[in-house]
Amino acid sequence: MTEVKIQTAPFDARFPNVNQTKRCWQSYFDYTKCTAAKGEDYPPCKQFLRTYMTVCPNEWIERWDAQKEEGTYPGALVLERAGQAPVRVETPSYVKYTRRGLQPHLLPDVAAGLGAQPAATRVQLEDFLDKDSSHRGRFGGGLREFAALGRADIAILDVLDPTTTARTAKAEAKAMVIDGAGGTRRLSPELFAELADALKPDVVVPPADYIEEPLPSLEHGKRIQKSAARSARWLDECLARIAHPAAVFAPVMGSHCPTQRTMYATMLAARKDVAGYSFNDISLALPFGRKLELAQRSLAILDPALPRYMAGASAPDAALQAVLGGIDLVDSSYPYAVTEQGFASTYALSSDGGASGHLDMWQDAMRADFGPLVDGCSCPTCARHHRAYIHHLLLTKEMLATVLLQVHNLHVYQRFFADIRASLARDTLRADAERFLRHYGCDGPEPAAAFGELRLLATQLATPTTKIQRQRHAEQPSG
Amino acid sequence: MTKSDNEFSRLGAPLEASASPALRFEVLARCSTTRARASRMHLPHYTAHTPMFMPVGTMGSIKGITTQQLEDLDCHVILGNTYHLGSQPGPELLAEAGGLHRFMAWDRGLLTDSGGFQMVSLLKLARITEDGVEFENPHDGKKMMLTPEMSIGVQNAIGSDIMMQLDDVVSTLTTGPRMEEAMWRSVRWLDRCMKAHKRPTEQNLFPIVQGGLDPALRTLSAQELVRRDAPGYAIGGLSGGEAKGEFWRMVALSTGILPTNKPRYCMGVGYAEDLVVCSALGVDMYDCVFPTRTARFGNALVRTGSLPLRQGRFRSDTRPIDSDCTCLTCTSYSRAYLHTTVAQETTGCHLVTIHNIAFQMRLMRDIRDAIVADRFPQFVRDFMRTRFGKTVPRWIMDALQSVGVDLAAPDETGYSAAPIDDDFQKEPSV
Repeated sequence: MTEVKIQTAPFDARFPNVNQTKRCWQSYFDYTKCTAAKGEDYPPCKQFLRTYMTVCPNEWIERWDAQKEEGTYPGALVLERAGQAPVRVETPSYVKYTRRGLQPHLLPDVAAGLGAQPAATRVQLEDFLDKDSSHRGRFGGGLREFAALGRADIAILDVLDPTTTARTAKAEAKAMVIDGAGGTRRLSPELFAELADALKPDVVVPPADYIEEPLPSLEHGKRIQKSAARSARWLDECLARIAHPAAVFAPVMGSHCPTQRTMYATMLAARKDVAGYSFNDISLALPFGRKLELAQRSLAILDPALPRYMAGASAPDAALQAVLGGIDLVDSSYPYAVTEQGFASTYALSSDGGASGHLDMWQDAMRADFGPLVDGCSCPTCARHHRAYIHHLLLTKEMLATVLLQVHNLHVYQRFFADIRASLARDTLRADAERFLRHYGCDGPEPAAAFGELRLLATQLATPTTKIQRQRHAEQPSG
Repeated sequence: MTKSDNEFSRLGAPLEASASPALRFEVLARCSTTRARASRMHLPHYTAHTPMFMPVGTMGSIKGITTQQLEDLDCHVILGNTYHLGSQPGPELLAEAGGLHRFMAWDRGLLTDSGGFQMVSLLKLARITEDGVEFENPHDGKKMMLTPEMSIGVQNAIGSDIMMQLDDVVSTLTTGPRMEEAMWRSVRWLDRCMKAHKRPTEQNLFPIVQGGLDPALRTLSAQELVRRDAPGYAIGGLSGGEAKGEFWRMVALSTGILPTNKPRYCMGVGYAEDLVVCSALGVDMYDCVFPTRTARFGNALVRTGSLPLRQGRFRSDTRPIDSDCTCLTCTSYSRAYLHTTVAQETTGCHLVTIHNIAFQMRLMRDIRDAIVADRFPQFVRDFMRTRFGKTVPRWIMDALQSVGVDLAAPDETGYSAAPIDDDFQKEPSV
C-alpha cells in the first residue's frame, strides 16, 4: 500500500513529527469550525488558535489561510499515484453514483457536457456479482478501462448500492450475504480481494457486517458485538489479501450502540493502514439525525485528517447536515432518484424559490410551457430544451426524458456543493444551512417531504414488478 | 468522429441537378458502372449528402440519444412519425412551439411520413374509403378519419423539410383489383395532398410509387407521379415480407423510371446489404427502425452481420464491438462490458444505439466515398466478401448483375461468389 495516498488536508511528508502534524491539523480545523459556528470573538475558539500557532509551521498556516480564501478549505480528497499527477477533489463534495460503472442515463459525452464534475466515482461490486462472477478476465486492465472511467477519476469500489435500503439477507460468519436483482450472492473477504485485484480501483471499501432491520436490542447487544468483530476481521483479511495497492476506506461500525461505536472507532484510529472512513448504516431504521449523531460519536475518535464518506446522506437536507457534522463526501444517488420520478430539481443553497425543491414534469401545466426547467439555469438541457418537450418525452415514455432530466438534476446537485464550499469559505455555512433547512421544512423531527425522492425510489425498487413510470401514467397509449 | 462536410469538396460543378422552391438536388458524382450516385440535397434546414440513412425518431427523439449526439454522429436528416406526433404532442402545440425542429431542438433535416402506414399497421378496424382512412380513436373509441388534407395539415404544423403524401396502404403481398385500386387512389390522394400543402416554399412533398409487386402497376404509378413534377420521389409498398428477389426488381424498376436529377427515397430499408444494393440501383435515401431497435435488444451491427451482445460468448471478450469504429462506444467499452450492462441498464442500450447509428453513418459515408472515387463496384465486392464470403444470396447477385457488377466473375483479388437461395442474414463470424 505504498503508491496510493489519500488525505483530506495537504500533507507534507517532509514534516518529521507525525503526532504534531495531526495536532496542528486538528487545531486549525477546530478553530475554523469553531469560528464558523460561534464567530471569531468567541473565547473558547482562541484556544485552538493558540495551539495551531504554536505547533504548525507558518508555511502551512499561510497555505490553509489562502485556501480558506479561495474556498478550497477545509479539505480535498487527493489521490497520488506513482508517476502521475495527483487527482484532487475539493470537499465537501459528492462522489459520482454509478450503476454498472456508468452514471445513470448519462453516456460519457453527455456527462462531459456538465463540465467538471468531481473526479471521484463510486462503483458497487454488487453490480458485478452476477452469473459471470467467475470471469475475471472480462475486466481487462481493471475498472478504469472496463467502465471507461476518466483517467483523472478516483475509482472507489464499494460493496452495496446506496439506493437500495430494503435488505433482508442475514450475514454469515464468513461472508456478506447480498440480496440483489440477480438473486442472493455471498461476498467473502477472499472474493472481495480477488475482485478488487481484478478491478484495480484506487480506493476500496471492504465488506462489513452491516446490521439490517429490525434494530437489535441494546440490552443483549450480541448482534452488534458480533457485527463489529466480524467487520474488523474482514477488514484485516481484505487488507492482507488485496495485492493491488488500493487505499482503504474502512467501514465504521458499531450500529446504534455507543460503546461499540467507541470501541470500533478507537480500533480504527490506531490503524496506520486505513486511508479514510465509510459510514454505511443506511439500512438502520433510525431517523437520519440520529444516524448522524451516531456517526459523530465515531468521528470524535477517528483520525481527523482522513476523509469520511457517508452513504445514505445524498439528499440535499441530509448532505448539508452531514457536512456540518464532519462528513466530507456523499454520493450523487439523489439526483438519480429525482430523475426516476420525472422531476426537475429546483433547489439551491440560497433558494428563495418554491418550497418543494423540485418541479413535477408530469403535471399538465408543463404541456405548453416553453420555458427552461429553471430560469437562468446554464445546464445543457436548459440551454437547449424547454419544459413542454421534457413533458412530452415523459408522456410518450421516451428514454431521452430521463437523460435530459439527469443532466439538469446533476447540474443542480453540482451547484449545490459548489455553493456549500463557497459558503464554508465565507464561514456562513451554518447560517446558510439553517435557512435552507427551514425554507424546505427540513428542520423538524419528521423527515421532510421536500427531498423524499430517494425514499420514494427505494419503495418502488422494493416492488420490482411495478414499473415506476407506468404506475404514474398507466392510461397513456402505447406507440 | 468523422464528418462528411468535406467529402465532395474536390468535385466540380454538378453533373445534373434539379431545383424546386424548397429543395435543390445536385448529382456530383456518378458510378461509371452501376446506377449509384453521390449528391448534395439542399433542404430548408440542412444540406444533406446522399446516399444517406435517416434514423427514426418516432415521437420527436431518437431513443435516449440527444440532438447534440445526433449531430456528433453526423446525422443529416432524421424521421418523425406523423401519426404519433399528431396525437402527442398534437399539431396545435407543435405549431405553437414553432414546429418540430424547435420543439425538439434539432436544426438539421426532418422527414415525416403521412401517418397512413401506422393507421393500418397499429389500429384495428381501420377502413379505407375514397375520402380517407377511417379508424377508431384508441382513446375514446370514436370513429375518426385521416384524410390527405389532414395528413398534410399535421405535417405542415410539424414543419418537416420533407413530407410524404398519404397513400392507400395495402399489404405488399396483395394482388389483383385491390392493389390496382390502391395504386390509383394513391395518385388521386397525391393530388389532394399537393392541393392541401400550405407551405410549398418551406416544405417538400414527396409522392410515393406504389403498385405492389406488379411491374405493370408500378410502372404506371411511377409514370403518373413523374408527370406531377415533385421535388423528389419515394418508393413505397416494399419491405413488407415479399421475397427479396421481387423487392430488388421493384426498386430497380422504379429507379429506372424516376428522373435521375431528383432524389429517390426507398422507405423502410436499413439492413447494410440492402443499403449497398439499393444504392447500386440508384436510391439516395433510406430509413428504418432496425438499427436503433435492435440496439435495444443488445445487438451491435458490424460489417459481418450483428453481434448479439447478451450471449455468453461475449462475457470475457475484451475487444470493442468493432476495432475500426471510432464511435464513443467502440473507443471506450469492451464487448464484455456491454455484455454485463446492456440487459441491465438503459444506459447500456444507449451505448449500443450510438454504435449502431455510427455504423449506418459510416457505411453511407463509405458508399459516398467509393462513388466519388469511382471505385464503387469494387467497394460492393469487398463489402459482400466481408459480409457473406464465398456464397452470397442469389437476389443480391442478381440485383448487382443487373447494374453491371458480376460477383460470380473473379476480380483482381481473386474473389468470386456463388449464389445461395437464402434471403436472410448469415450468422455473423466473430
